[in-house]
Amino acid sequence: MTRNKKWIAIFLLPGVALFAYIFLASLLVLITTSFTDWTIAGKLSFIGIKNYVDLFTADKGYLTALKNTIVWIFLQSTIHVLFGTMVALILAKKHWYSNAMRTVFFIPNIISSAALGMLFLCILNPQFGLINNLIKKINGDFNVNWFMDPKTAFLSVTLTWLPYAGLVTILVISEMSSISDEIIEAAKVDGATPLQADLYIVLPLMRNIIGTSTVLAATSMLQKLDIIMMTTSGGPGVRTMNMPMYLYQTVFSNNNFGLANAQGVLLILLGVLSLVIIRKLYRMDDED
Amino acid sequence: MTKYIKKTMVAALMLFIILIALTPFIWVFMASFKTNAEILSGTIGLPKVLHVQNYVTAFKLAPLVTFYKNSIIVGIVATLLNLIVCSMAAYVVVRCDFKAKGLVTLIFSIGLIVPAAALLQPLYTTLQASHLYNTLTGLILVYTAIGMPTTFYVMVSYIRTIPFTLEEAAYIDGCGFARTFFTIVLPITRPAFATAGVIQFLLAWNEFQFALTLTGETSKRTLPIALYYFKSAFASDYGAMFAATVVVITPSILIFILLQKQIISGLAAGSVKG
Repeated sequence: MTRNKKWIAIFLLPGVALFAYIFLASLLVLITTSFTDWTIAGKLSFIGIKNYVDLFTADKGYLTALKNTIVWIFLQSTIHVLFGTMVALILAKKHWYSNAMRTVFFIPNIISSAALGMLFLCILNPQFGLINNLIKKINGDFNVNWFMDPKTAFLSVTLTWLPYAGLVTILVISEMSSISDEIIEAAKVDGATPLQADLYIVLPLMRNIIGTSTVLAATSMLQKLDIIMMTTSGGPGVRTMNMPMYLYQTVFSNNNFGLANAQGVLLILLGVLSLVIIRKLYRMDDED
Repeated sequence: MTKYIKKTMVAALMLFIILIALTPFIWVFMASFKTNAEILSGTIGLPKVLHVQNYVTAFKLAPLVTFYKNSIIVGIVATLLNLIVCSMAAYVVVRCDFKAKGLVTLIFSIGLIVPAAALLQPLYTTLQASHLYNTLTGLILVYTAIGMPTTFYVMVSYIRTIPFTLEEAAYIDGCGFARTFFTIVLPITRPAFATAGVIQFLLAWNEFQFALTLTGETSKRTLPIALYYFKSAFASDYGAMFAATVVVITPSILIFILLQKQIISGLAAGSVKG
């Protein structure tokens, strides 16, 4: 067979060109202009790390966005992963409802998250939403504006992300199918209850996929612009502001491109940091 | 006794999942057939009469047909392009020896490390500079690139499982490199194409952020934007808003129910490298 250099180059070219156009060019723009003063009207001028300093010292909104994003990363990579894994352990067994429930839990993961945001906006609507009208049947005076009340907004937005635990469930179940039945049978013969088998045999074997799910869950919190835009737009005030939403506003409302790109750089760094920490915690770099 | 407690807990958990994952869909579906007055009075049950008018209004208020058409074009072209680009690279990476292999793998994985929101402003600038802002072509290229990691990994792991003997026979018969790839290898990789293709199609179909920021005119918008459109512009006609929501999410759900196996195996394969 001809290991022809020409053909190797030709086959790689489209992908590399696309990478250069979409990612490389953007990353260069992102990093270089994050050190400049660049607004829609003005010319670019180099200002060193002023954008970064401003974000951390002069910008209360950004600090809230950063704090919220970190809190959500934490919640998503602990509670949601735990929830998804627990459901996986139940649905991996052959109950009459297992297949149906897997489908149900995964459906919110497959639709546009803008649409999911819309669904939550509707069922939590204070006037005609399902939740309030159900509660009103018991307590007639009940009236909470879930997404707009500063007391409930953060919790409500957090709730909209719970269905995404379905991805964890699906990934863990698909990994569990690779465990041979013999191991589980052997444990049963030795007198292990199903719960013991899950805890001491299945879960340790799932370490890598749970780690991967945690990485996905954590980094997904750096992308959540759509649901926020559909539900609260970061409000009330900046109560539910996250980093992507704040970045969006910096670009399209304030037209401060340099400042926005400094936020973009920090967003990437936070992603890499989460990735490194989670991989360490799950010892994912160890060979099994 | 403990058995009953366990059963009750499992039942409660399942009920909770149904509540957060299924109830919103059923409720909005039912509400999409109610009149505005019925919705505002906060009724929970089935609609009194099937008020199909909402769907007509939805199509009148928002240019849903245009959005649908754009979504189909963007979805199909971005999927085909992504599959071709990634399978060619994956084939070379699996079958050929060259020094820059690690670099190529990195290039195809970069999308996993960079959150899309970070590229909001730079991509806007890049596309405007190359006159692809507000075009379907621009969106197609962006979606093709974003979907590269998953497709690349799915293709690499599938091509690894193909025995080399088939290609060898083709080469001995005098078949060239490109022809071997397109006529021998590609037909065998059909299952991987299906897996990666569905995921890529759903990505393009559902994407919101770039659809919003990289297009400016209604004639170039895709479906997820329709809901944003409704939320801001026609916030008072709830029946139509619900109808539009149903219209937007139904294709994704149908695709999932029909191609569940491919989607799940694709997500599993694509996530492992994450």
